[in-house]
Amino acid sequence: MSEEKRTELVNVTIDGIPTQVPPGTNLVEAAKAVGVEIPHYCYHPGLSIAANCRMCLVETNKHPPGKLVPGCQITVMEGMEVTTQSKRVKDQQRAVQEFLLLHHPVDCAICDQAGECRLQDYYQEYDYKPSRLDSPKWMKNKRKVLGPTIVLDQERCIMCTRCVRFMKEVAEDPVLGVFGRGTREVIDTFPGKTLDNNYSGNIVDLCPVGALTWRDNRFRARAYFLTATPSICTGCERGCNVYLDHFQGVPYRYRPRENPEVNQYWMCDVGRLGYHALHDDRLVAARVDGEETEAEAAVLAAARKLGELSGKAAVVVSPLLSLEDALAVAALAKEGLGAKAIYVSGRAAGEGDRLLLRSDRNPNRKGVELAAQAMGLEVRAFDALQGAKVEGLLLAGLEIPADEAGFAEWAKKIPTVVAMGTNVSPLLGAAHVVLPLAPHSEAEGTFVNFQGRAQRFLAAYEPRGAALPGWAWAARLLRELGHETGWSSTREVFMDLGRKLPEGSLGTFDWDATPRRHLKGVVPLPGGTVDGRPAGMRELIPLRTGGTAA
Amino acid sequence: MPETKNDLANLQEDVLDAKLSTKSLSLNMGPSHPASHGTVRFHIELDGEIITKLDPEIGFLHRGFEKSCENSTWTQCLPYTDRLNYLSSMCNNFGFLTAVEKLAGIEIPERAKYIRTIGAELHRLCDHLTCVGAMAMELGGFTPFLWAIEARDILWDRVAELTGARVTTSYGRIGGVNRDLPEGWVQKVKDSLVRVAELRDDIDALLTHNRIFLERTRGTGKMSAEDAINYGFTGPMLRASGVDYDVRKAHPYWVYDRVDFEVPLGSEGDNYDRYYLRIAEMKESERIILQCFEQMEPGPILVDDWRYVLPPKNEVYSTIEGVIGHFKIVMEGVKIPAGTVYSYTESPNGELGWYLVSDGSGRPYKVHCRAPGIPLLGGLEHMVVGSLLPDLIPTFDLINMIGGEVEQ
Repeated sequence: MSEEKRTELVNVTIDGIPTQVPPGTNLVEAAKAVGVEIPHYCYHPGLSIAANCRMCLVETNKHPPGKLVPGCQITVMEGMEVTTQSKRVKDQQRAVQEFLLLHHPVDCAICDQAGECRLQDYYQEYDYKPSRLDSPKWMKNKRKVLGPTIVLDQERCIMCTRCVRFMKEVAEDPVLGVFGRGTREVIDTFPGKTLDNNYSGNIVDLCPVGALTWRDNRFRARAYFLTATPSICTGCERGCNVYLDHFQGVPYRYRPRENPEVNQYWMCDVGRLGYHALHDDRLVAARVDGEETEAEAAVLAAARKLGELSGKAAVVVSPLLSLEDALAVAALAKEGLGAKAIYVSGRAAGEGDRLLLRSDRNPNRKGVELAAQAMGLEVRAFDALQGAKVEGLLLAGLEIPADEAGFAEWAKKIPTVVAMGTNVSPLLGAAHVVLPLAPHSEAEGTFVNFQGRAQRFLAAYEPRGAALPGWAWAARLLRELGHETGWSSTREVFMDLGRKLPEGSLGTFDWDATPRRHLKGVVPLPGGTVDGRPAGMRELIPLRTGGTAA
Repeated sequence: MPETKNDLANLQEDVLDAKLSTKSLSLNMGPSHPASHGTVRFHIELDGEIITKLDPEIGFLHRGFEKSCENSTWTQCLPYTDRLNYLSSMCNNFGFLTAVEKLAGIEIPERAKYIRTIGAELHRLCDHLTCVGAMAMELGGFTPFLWAIEARDILWDRVAELTGARVTTSYGRIGGVNRDLPEGWVQKVKDSLVRVAELRDDIDALLTHNRIFLERTRGTGKMSAEDAINYGFTGPMLRASGVDYDVRKAHPYWVYDRVDFEVPLGSEGDNYDRYYLRIAEMKESERIILQCFEQMEPGPILVDDWRYVLPPKNEVYSTIEGVIGHFKIVMEGVKIPAGTVYSYTESPNGELGWYLVSDGSGRPYKVHCRAPGIPLLGGLEHMVVGSLLPDLIPTFDLINMIGGEVEQ
């Protein structure tokens, strides 16, 4: 670090550990930098400071002795010494915790937050004393419907006001407010308003307790049984970084994963609901002429039909396919089918907004275009397809930006249609051979978002039924068509074909930088272990100190 | 040609006495041999009937329990420790918990210390009874075995009343024990100990001066004090060689410094000493238990700290504090402060050591068990090489190798 840089940093000592942090850093963040945890409820790095939970109070040498100051609000000063372990601080933490639990309902057994609840975490760490309440608990509304997506349990609420601040500052839709005072204080919508916002799901993530619940998966899954796999949202071309939380091969929710350059701490409700398609109406068996068949037979049939066409088949690639899948399919188009172009399909554009959601609802359009470029194929718009002379059709991905039934009618006139898809679609009616695709929850790969940022995602669980990633089907078809590829993993596809990508098109992207499941030091836990997490990367779940709003 | 009659006689005698030429024989014994208890295979090189080489092959009961512990909470490790030396599971339970408590800096209540001592000594009795009885049986005397098993069964009934299980007890908890002594249990144990003492004396009377038994055990499987130390022997095997080392005396834990007991010592380091030392130790265990009954007073059996023990059920069902405490301990485990510890207790076969590493989470980062049986098995070859094959039987029996413990 240069001399000049050094002068820009502030020297502070936290529990005796000296460190340097940029000026303006608050004490919670400074402590986190040296591995000291200052507990907090209301503070969130993406929101304004409220300093109302009083959990983060610490002592410093820059304030009168015995005076506690909120660590989230006080910023570092040169020479500041912070004490988080003194008796005064510990007593305060226990007192705050006791007050917060005083009227808290005995709900853990039925609460969706149990297992990822800060009240639980902090109670066990900072309080661990019996209740001293000798009167009945104060009752409030346990199921206050705030809007189409959110239900509030006012009894569980600890009045941190994260949700109020989020709606006001980030979503800029200030419909939530604090009503009443003291014990009767509640969060509610302003009279006549409903919470109906594309970013409403974030307040459920933000809520440190189980007060706000997402109606979509309320009472569906126990948080402590879920395994979190780092993934990428496929809702639009933003490619928000997410965790896919799943249990025994069933996805239960997306949660935003902090990435300051893409989605900060948030994601939108459109993307958040995208996990349903990973589970519902899935295509899990290969078909030939409408009959379910073995994968090998379907590959043979597809290869035979496509091989006869030599150059006359049109290849349609969906930008929901990963970069690796697109590269492999492009290689199939070029080398196996002799195509000169690919048609890029994908979901129809929708309305974007100023925060995260983009109008292009496909996660990997850039990646598909790069793949075509890498293989020397022309990229054509989907609309050009129906005007072209097509004798055979290979659909890699069934998402099309047009009326599906109408397109299916048109496609029925084509002598040979081979379709790969993740979900059931009207298009399948026109397909002679159907190959089931594994979506991004079941395969690993890379998406290139609209910024040209390549982002890796990991497979959360094994592909369902006969489903395979796109590159695997492409490799099998290529083999039948006389081109041995030798690919046995997604990584090999990228290492083989990724070299052909235009120089520098992925920036400093390193395929291996994202840790994979079975790396050394990452112990997959057996299912049903007592800490509740079945086999998965527990290490990657930021329960408390991570940036994600948990 | 012989010169005289006398020479002729000499010659004939030489011919008659000529040594049979022997050749080395490689013999497999076990893994399931009727004259050994414990599943272990010996690869033995014999010269005639003399053992020249012995290679014990273990692993038939290997379960990788140390690794399994890393995926379990600290409390969940307890059932694994039951299955180390399954004849004295309470010694293992409490030994492991003592290590965990040392790491966490927990001082368990007085009554829990007494209960732990009583439980451990009961299981020490069971262990010694099994060892002595089984050895006698494998030397051909079936009656002592039946007596020993009768005595052990009486004790196991008391253990079952105390812990709910006869063998795999999982009775301890971090910070104390699972439950208090049952109603009327103390008197029942006292009565049981009288019967056990009778049976023990019967065994003693039948074996200790028995000619056949003496021939088989006296002077066989000898180990000098120096060798025993060098091989890492602990427990009765070490003390039979005359080394006065008992963890209960040398580094007292629980209430061993408050009870009066002797540490019997051998002098020859042979199988007879090892046998008789166990008989003597059983008498001391009985004394310890009776003294504990006299000394112990009513009181809590678990520490009052909800970070380490489950809250009482009435709190769990009616207060949020209780339900959170219960939830966190059950789902995530007791959080033991980061650090490393080595702790050791006297189990029936020797020093049972635990090396634990915690990273501050609810599960051990690393667990290593210093099982007393491993060094003993390591010294087996030293004890039997040069002796007759039948000497292997009492020597191996008195090691009291428990597969679950040695092979972990």
